Amino acid sequence: MTVNRLKILVGGVQLRDGVVTVTDILGRIFTRAGLHVLAMERGYASTIYGAHQFDPLVVSEEPPVSWGDPRLDILVALDYDSNPDAREQPNRDTILRHGRYLVDGGVLLYDSSTGEVPVEPLERRGIKVFPVPARTIARDELKLDVVKNMVAVGALFRVLEFDQDGTWLRQLVEERFARKGAQVVDLNLRAARRGREVVESILAARGWPGSGYRLQPRPSAEPRVLISGNEALSLGAIAAGCRFYAGYPITPASAILEFMEEHLPRFGGRALQGQNERESIRAAIGAALAGVRSMVGTSGPGLSLKVEEFGVAGMTEVPVVIVDTQRAGPSTGMPTKSEQGDLYLSIFGGHGEIPRIVLAPATQEECYTLMIEAHNLADKYQCPVFFLTDLNLSEGRKTVPEAVFTQHPVTIDRSTLVREADLRRDGAYRRFALTPTGISPRLVPGTVGGVLKASGSEHDERGFVSTDPAVRKAMMEKRARKMETFLREDARPPRVVGSVDGRPALVGWGSTLPVLLEAQQRLRQRGVEVAVVHFSYLWPFPAALAKPVLERASVLIAVEQNFTGQFADVIQACCLLPVRRVVKYNGLPLYPADVVGGVEHILHTGESHVRIGTEAPAPVKVSEGG
Amino acid sequence: MTDATTPSRVSQKISAKVWEENAVPRHRIQWCPGCGDFGVLAGLKMALTKLEVTPYEVLLIGGIGCSGQIRNYLNGNGFHGTHGGALAYALGAKMANPGLTVIALAGDGDTFAIGVENFVHVCRRDPAVVLIIMDNGVYGLTKGQHSPTHGRGMDIREWSEEAPPPFAPLRLALTAGATFVAQSFSGDPRHAAEIYAQALQHPGFAVVNDFSPCVTYNKFNTYDWYRERVEDVPASHDPSDFQAAWELLNDFDRRGRLPLGVVYRHPRPKKAHGRLPIWPEELQGADIRPLLQMMR
Ligand SMILES: Cc1ncc(C[n+]2csc(CCOP(=O)(O)OP(=O)(O)O)c2C)c(N)n1
Ligand code: SF4
Repeated sequence: MTVNRLKILVGGVQLRDGVVTVTDILGRIFTRAGLHVLAMERGYASTIYGAHQFDPLVVSEEPPVSWGDPRLDILVALDYDSNPDAREQPNRDTILRHGRYLVDGGVLLYDSSTGEVPVEPLERRGIKVFPVPARTIARDELKLDVVKNMVAVGALFRVLEFDQDGTWLRQLVEERFARKGAQVVDLNLRAARRGREVVESILAARGWPGSGYRLQPRPSAEPRVLISGNEALSLGAIAAGCRFYAGYPITPASAILEFMEEHLPRFGGRALQGQNERESIRAAIGAALAGVRSMVGTSGPGLSLKVEEFGVAGMTEVPVVIVDTQRAGPSTGMPTKSEQGDLYLSIFGGHGEIPRIVLAPATQEECYTLMIEAHNLADKYQCPVFFLTDLNLSEGRKTVPEAVFTQHPVTIDRSTLVREADLRRDGAYRRFALTPTGISPRLVPGTVGGVLKASGSEHDERGFVSTDPAVRKAMMEKRARKMETFLREDARPPRVVGSVDGRPALVGWGSTLPVLLEAQQRLRQRGVEVAVVHFSYLWPFPAALAKPVLERASVLIAVEQNFTGQFADVIQACCLLPVRRVVKYNGLPLYPADVVGGVEHILHTGESHVRIGTEAPAPVKVSEGG
Repeated sequence: MTDATTPSRVSQKISAKVWEENAVPRHRIQWCPGCGDFGVLAGLKMALTKLEVTPYEVLLIGGIGCSGQIRNYLNGNGFHGTHGGALAYALGAKMANPGLTVIALAGDGDTFAIGVENFVHVCRRDPAVVLIIMDNGVYGLTKGQHSPTHGRGMDIREWSEEAPPPFAPLRLALTAGATFVAQSFSGDPRHAAEIYAQALQHPGFAVVNDFSPCVTYNKFNTYDWYRERVEDVPASHDPSDFQAAWELLNDFDRRGRLPLGVVYRHPRPKKAHGRLPIWPEELQGADIRPLLQMMR
């Protein structure tokens, strides 16, 4: 009997079966019950209706390190006739796709409304199968099609021996459906009860004492939330004082736009759905010019369209935070699959040389905390600040203690803005004054006593266009100096987990940190000690802080979700250290087994670039250490 | 705390001279002698002086082109970014601080070629921004290539894909939903100033297409050419009537004349907005707990 540790995958037909509704209900209730939920990988398609959709949840008592491997304990198939061409196996889509990942002794629960599925191969592996005619019950007995999801939830709860008296479910259903009336609440609860009964009778008929899995509530005093990366970074922006947001709809960044449209007004801010990518970032630059903390959010194709404005923000020294929730590219690539492919564009995109800061959070928590820093850094250094998340992190949800958000100190540092009194004191105001730090006082238009002239063309200290070589040189150096000041005052060293000394180091950036940590643990169990060196501050590359750490490792292995090993190139260029790489770019998430396999491969063969490209996790070979 | 919405009126008298401080001195203006943009500059100074706006509350967003330089030849806050971007920066700035007098100043190339996407939608959005287009029928700064309004009035029998007929600024503005559409001629700065002043007082997006001859590269649409063809919008014209505005353009086109004045003016009811928070004391302690509640 496994208690309080399992991975469930819910699958079905997109927009019909309500996969996300079910996982949302499960995730919320498990979180309220004091368990930890992690749901990073989401499978959906760019087509809206009809495609297969799946959503795996890791549930555990302690916070899970990462989302683990594709292995599943429980498969819930909501599709009842998803493949009309396969009449003999009408429910097979979810089962065929994911059944093979079920562990021996796992559980399959499926909607048998259009008949039962032959499952002998699964049963031979000790998998317990629960056919539940959820849709038939909903439609014929309860006369409300949509409650079929509740039948499935009720059935699953019985499988997990969870919420026996229905308290958790009742509370959530009442909160959600109270508006729709007592009758709707009642129907939902009845549906769940019916699901429970069906499972009960299957258990009795089969003579099974239980499913082999159990979830027990672990109520904790500490309130927790189930939050996505997009939500966490939006909250971070609001807490940091961002009051203007602009975006053009694009997966997977649209959720930020929707969040901001709904919530910014109550904080006195405004969100703008741009008519295209360029209107969005230009409007954000305009609002930032007017003194408001501004942000735009987009994904790869939209980032490409914004490139022209990177230089504008850099040259006119207007602070703007640019969120890029990376997805697989190039071109429109795979809009619903994750990748870390936009690092080069963020660091090097644009003509000329642009001062900029590039940050990448590792977790939902860091989406919040680092976003607050992003806005302060943008303000201080008056340049574009890139914030690189990716589809998995942005859409992935995780149980996080509320205290992370309520108790994180938020300082809003706008000390580079000048006030009317400062202007009176200083006399002639120069927007681009050549200062030792490279940071010049910034004026909010409307402040009496000074005007600012800001130009995307090269300019003198007052902002007037100039091509005087001496002016050009001084201004170029001034902007570059800001980045030197940043490296001195604000850049952060990598996070190091484990000892690097004489050991291989797994180097990563952004959302893959949890997977690296889990791979580290697994490698240790296999007798290989590696360190994890993870960067959230990517550019300007903090070489002075990172090189002393990196050069102590026996071998550097960058693990990235792209083809080239973009960050590995950056490290090689900035530290003059060779970096090997394990890369994955097939659209699937990076799994700990991929990393373990890739690292062992490198350690055995000395190869420098391991590409993981199969659907199955890389074969894990026994290691002889090293 | 400085309240950026309402700049305290400075005791200094708002005279035309005020607009020359914090600006490139006259002898360093880089326009060709006789450029139409001088007329726009003169007209704009008159309008701003007349309305007693202070330079502090003005934000001039320039386009990229000879025309966009005007932002540096006039006191007031100034900004320019990308070719075609002026209106979108202006939109953001105005949304952020409605207290600013935001004026976008661009060429016909900037506005109707590379910037047409921004133009069309800003017409729809209707921010209280004034756009003055210095329409010279050429790309001045890049030395005379054809711009979207090139070929105005020319007798050409066969147009081609690479040289299509001229663009119709006022018609596009009207159909895109602009609430103030007017035309001026920089050869008559006094008249232009009156139109600019009306535009500045309009509560929504105001488009003013100014015939601003390029004396260097457009040898066809000269001051004289315009003088012979411009004609004031008749006093009897009702600018609040869309159909009448459209008919007026048809009528002028038929007669080979070019209307000067306000062709259309029809303010749209709009939600009022204050200045967005800027200062730390306005931003500190935002309570995000209600948002967290929803994620429990
Ligand atoms: C993206 C981009 N493309 C091209 C240019 C080159 N360019 C500079 S000004 C200009 C056209 C200016 O014409 P117009 O807007 O009509 O203004 P004018 O100079 O005639 O006043 C062009 C194409 C540029 N600066 N940026
Ligand atoms: S090139 Fe034409 S538009 Fe440019 S300054 Fe000279 S006259 Fe004016």
